[in-house]
Amino acid sequence: MSMINIQDVTFSYTGKRLILKDINLTVEQGEWVAILGHNGSGKSTLAKLLVGLLEPKSGTIAIDGVLLTPDTLYEERKKIGIVFQNPDNQFVGVSVRDDIAFGMENLNVPREEMLEKIQFYAEKVGMSDLLEKEPSTLSGGQKQRVAIAGILAMQTKIMIFDEATSMLDPTSRNELMAYISTLHDEGITIIMITHDMEEALYADRLVVLKEGAIFEDDAKATLLRKPERFREARLDLPMALKIQSGLSKTDEKEKRVRDFLWEFVSAK
Amino acid sequence: MKNIVIGQYVPGDGFLYRLDPRTKLIAVIILMVAVFLLETIIELVVAFGLVILLLIAGKISIVRVAKGLKPLFVLLLFTFFFQILFNKEGTLLVEEILSLNPANLGLGLLLTVLWRLLARFGKFKTILLFLWIAGIYCLLRYVAIAPQWTTFSLQIHEKGIEMSVFVVIRLLIIISLSTIMTLTTKPTDLTQGLEKLMRPLKVIGIKSDDFALIISISLRYIPTILDEANKIMAAQASRGADFSEGGLKEKIKQVISLLVPMFIIAFKRSEELADAMESRNFVPGKKRTRIHELSFGWKDAVTSVVILLCLAASITLKVIG
Repeated sequence: MSMINIQDVTFSYTGKRLILKDINLTVEQGEWVAILGHNGSGKSTLAKLLVGLLEPKSGTIAIDGVLLTPDTLYEERKKIGIVFQNPDNQFVGVSVRDDIAFGMENLNVPREEMLEKIQFYAEKVGMSDLLEKEPSTLSGGQKQRVAIAGILAMQTKIMIFDEATSMLDPTSRNELMAYISTLHDEGITIIMITHDMEEALYADRLVVLKEGAIFEDDAKATLLRKPERFREARLDLPMALKIQSGLSKTDEKEKRVRDFLWEFVSAK
Repeated sequence: MKNIVIGQYVPGDGFLYRLDPRTKLIAVIILMVAVFLLETIIELVVAFGLVILLLIAGKISIVRVAKGLKPLFVLLLFTFFFQILFNKEGTLLVEEILSLNPANLGLGLLLTVLWRLLARFGKFKTILLFLWIAGIYCLLRYVAIAPQWTTFSLQIHEKGIEMSVFVVIRLLIIISLSTIMTLTTKPTDLTQGLEKLMRPLKVIGIKSDDFALIISISLRYIPTILDEANKIMAAQASRGADFSEGGLKEKIKQVISLLVPMFIIAFKRSEELADAMESRNFVPGKKRTRIHELSFGWKDAVTSVVILLCLAASITLKVIG
């Protein structure tokens, strides 16, 4: 049974312009999928549909085999967590501890269990010394880590990152990416919504959206061999591929650099 | 902007910190009632002494409480003079004939301007205020040059002095009590306490848990929004806006130019926050467990007994007196 199953999903806000058209997408347990797209390609809307913040105009979404409907929504939301772009606008609690607790409080987790889980997941994201801190004293990266801990504490199976690194400085961004890798290793299904190709290189599979429709959907290594497809979707190529395309194919030395660069992008 | 303090809470470890916020809230209310029942200055002075004892026992610095009283200084002063001047009971102690005429009016205005100018330096404000009051009094009393517009008599009665001291001490006690509470209770704990105490209001349709969440989210976003205001002000200043100069009209324009983006951002923020909360399974009005737990312990029980004894004592005094 696939973790996420989207069938013929169409969405529009006002009824006239379709934001998403005929989306068909299946994500398996433990996959790391990057959903790529230029501004206005509908990628964030897709994320909101997956967590039930929006309802599709037509088509169905199933999470872990259960169809998302107003009746099943609250049950299904436990399986899927989302980290948004702005670290400040998703920090609900007055302290780190309160924020990690927020989701569990909503699920009526008993207090003793909450305290244990907060300790456990705060340690996991490296925030256990800062439990009493107020959000205004934390960095953007720390706030995103708190958001992750809060979602993990709800025993989520799928994690969506909706441009979650775009407001972070390079260091915290790398830290967060490394952290997401460990989540992936633990078997959590990762959906990463981004317009940044460098970030997408971490994924196993790339889904490219263009004007609300799926433009490409393939394994990373396969898709990277077709750089023109990314340009057509108005996406910037990763730096390594840009360098590679500038190198000669015949010269023996340059060929070795080309191979190295390919190795680099496909092995990440 | 990083270390902004909301409320007056100061971390500490006195026994007052370890009391349940509900105990403190109710205690403050009961003690206020008890203070209002007291009728003589001696009783009040004793009560004031008890408040000081409480401060010492709770390891709260008196200076901090005094600082909490500072904003209410003008109110205290006003009450004091109001009682002294307008209470006409008891034997007459002092009677002075004051007059108003062009000469002292002019000098009085001059004095006021001088006072405001000096007050701008921001030092010795209190002393300056007293000097101004004394100056006005001297002008009205001793500058009696024709043509006199009007004369009036300033009378101070025995009861007036008594009442002014009485009212000021009463106010001091009440303000100190509430300051002690806010100094020793985190705003979040205070909201929690209020929420629990407001539970019974569910009968008339007030949802105390939603109310508590609203307050705690507001508290959490105050520093964020202040930070934003600073950024917008800096952005506007860098494009030539001057927030410190200009007349009232320009000031209003500048405030509007600050408020409009602030509101737009705040609405966007709240929408995103609502999404984040909803995606973390928040459903308004649904029952939730709580990470914060209030516990009513033996300390609270002892405090309650002591507080009730205080109330009983002041009721007894009221009945006997």
